[in-house]
Amino acid sequence: MTSTYIKNATWAPTGERFDIRLAPGHTQVVPELGGLTISDAEVRPAGQLNIPERARVIDAEGKLILPALFDMHAKVEIEGRSKRESVTRTGQAAVQGGVWGMLVQPTPGFMFDNSSSLDSFREAVGQRSAAEMMPAGCISQGMKGDQQAPYNTLAARGIRILSDGGERPGNLLMLHRAMKYVAELDMILAIRGDVPSITAGTCIHPGTTSYELGLHGTPACAEEIGIEIIVRLAQDAGCRLHVQTVSTAEGVEIIRRAKAAGAQVTAEVALHHLLYTHEDVGEYDTNLKTVPPLRDKSDTEALLAGIKDGTIDCIVSDHTPCTPFAKMQDFPTAPQGMCMLDHYLPTLYTQLVKPGKLTWTELVRACCITPCSIACPDVTEPTEPEGIPLLLFDPATEYIVTEENLPCGTTNTPLLGKSLCGSVTLPLQ
Amino acid sequence: MSTPKDLLTIDALSDADIHGILKGAAEMKQVFCSGKTHPALAGKSVLTLFYEPSTRTRSSFELAARRLQADVTTFTVATSSVVKGESVHDTIDTLMSMHMDYIIVRHKNSGIPAVIGRHAKASVINAGDGAHAHPSQAFLDAFTLQEKYGDLTGKRVVIIGDILHSRVARSTSTILKRLGAAVAYMGPGPLVPMEKHTGIPRFTNWDAVFEWKPDVIYLLRVQNERMDTPYFPSADYHQAFGVTEERLKRIDALNLSIMHPGPVNRGVELCDNAMVYRNSLICDQVENGVAARMSILSYLTPRTRNND
Repeated sequence: MTSTYIKNATWAPTGERFDIRLAPGHTQVVPELGGLTISDAEVRPAGQLNIPERARVIDAEGKLILPALFDMHAKVEIEGRSKRESVTRTGQAAVQGGVWGMLVQPTPGFMFDNSSSLDSFREAVGQRSAAEMMPAGCISQGMKGDQQAPYNTLAARGIRILSDGGERPGNLLMLHRAMKYVAELDMILAIRGDVPSITAGTCIHPGTTSYELGLHGTPACAEEIGIEIIVRLAQDAGCRLHVQTVSTAEGVEIIRRAKAAGAQVTAEVALHHLLYTHEDVGEYDTNLKTVPPLRDKSDTEALLAGIKDGTIDCIVSDHTPCTPFAKMQDFPTAPQGMCMLDHYLPTLYTQLVKPGKLTWTELVRACCITPCSIACPDVTEPTEPEGIPLLLFDPATEYIVTEENLPCGTTNTPLLGKSLCGSVTLPLQ
Repeated sequence: MSTPKDLLTIDALSDADIHGILKGAAEMKQVFCSGKTHPALAGKSVLTLFYEPSTRTRSSFELAARRLQADVTTFTVATSSVVKGESVHDTIDTLMSMHMDYIIVRHKNSGIPAVIGRHAKASVINAGDGAHAHPSQAFLDAFTLQEKYGDLTGKRVVIIGDILHSRVARSTSTILKRLGAAVAYMGPGPLVPMEKHTGIPRFTNWDAVFEWKPDVIYLLRVQNERMDTPYFPSADYHQAFGVTEERLKRIDALNLSIMHPGPVNRGVELCDNAMVYRNSLICDQVENGVAARMSILSYLTPRTRNND
């Protein structure tokens, strides 16, 4: 095997241009945003690297180079498909979308509350997935919310983050005790802010659309009270907390206050909460049914501001494949969630970076560096041989999302039929 | 241009459609009241598919279809056996194989008729879906008020009760506003959505209602079956929000009309005397329901083979 040369690549965060020699078979590490440091590789300003004849050269003229993304919140299970096929398809979708690794939320088919399900999942990932898939262990046995999962067993299997798939365990006393226990194991609990007794039977943000469609609204205050509850419990227990899919302006504010008070808390926002509002649900578009629901424009703006000032640490895909049949049902019955991995980076670029709402530096921080430092801190160490791979992104490409370019194999995305900019090259060698 | 295939909501209709159906209702009322039939649907099949219990809407539709010389099939669904949308899909596939031309559907979930309408070639008529829409009720209400007042421009109608769960409030307020009337909502606080979400003035007591100077008092049924957790102390309802004997006197003195979509909870929304009040339009609503539904059925254009 020989080295791969990349010439005239533009480092997305700073706009500097580099020539790069990648040693065969190695992975790259990007520990900081200011410059490009690659272990086991040569980086020179563009034009200054001696490229031998007949070397494998990628001409990156006009293209951007950046670390591939890490997604803190994805579901892999595809209903009606085998576990192996789910892993294969989701891996393909992730790599196409510029995502090298993801934290996989437990679902009924991937119940990460015991070592054998973790082992069989990792085996499937090792054999079949083009992307790294790190499982999040369950908080409660069977995600039922009433009894702790075997945390020591999970920790011994390398589990760092615990989640009940976006749900808050119903029993707060159990949760408080779980927090005290896992604090000693240096694990992180990932939970969404919710008060289930207030949000039961609801499916949309309360407002003009919920009134017109006659649907029960999910009050923002339920999520905000829920965030307060888990933040306060985690503070008391001395446990690290990751707040999942914050969707309201006041939710951002609560996290801002908690961070200022020194709480060990991080937070994420789902990409769809930055792109859509409840008004986009239109006439019962079930592809826009999410939990928490799509909120108001003012919330979208506050979430974006939260990313820019670092209150919100990560943007996540909240990738949730659903069968077309399931989404053809009526709005209250249809399952929640949308498919986002397949076109993740082009969507981030087209909808946020291109219109100037987000800089490349902010994107790399929120979609790669910070999520990696939470979920897999080893890869951000400069000395670590297994690091974050690089990708090339061509912003000039324009294409339409069709059923053919959704490798995940499900079509529950509002992007279907929409035009996006950008194409991803991953892996580079 | 052909008329719409489905009747799902009032919003989906043009002004021409609304006026066309209301005009048709007046003609159909003459047919209906003279005991004759009209051949508008001769040779067509009409199916009623009610996932929720209903007496008056269903029989009103079936009577209307028979008076238009259609074949009527009643599809009985045990509410308990149909919980998921997929079984609705399968049911519709079966029905389309039977070459139904019109499907009249009621379901507890908002949006189901739209799901069926996209899937079926037959005309789908929404006979009430969740808290979303009940367009045939809106037509019979508008028609009843037109009979009473003529042009509805400037008329003031207050709808009282559980607005939050009411498809009647949504559809009837929409059609009345399209016809130039003013609409207000009144009811217990948790059951009246905010004005900023509805664009409709929101009251929570009778004093405000009388101050608003309505022409028509439209009472909604208290739908306890839709409330898993109570929204208000039910013992207080009649005294706080119902038409009591005292309020009836005031309504009578002001010569206001009373409407109700039925069935009435006596002693809750209305006191006994309100049922026989001289300006009660409740029985007209039932009678006009058949005429309005005859007009709706004859107005729509199914895309089925029978219709080629």
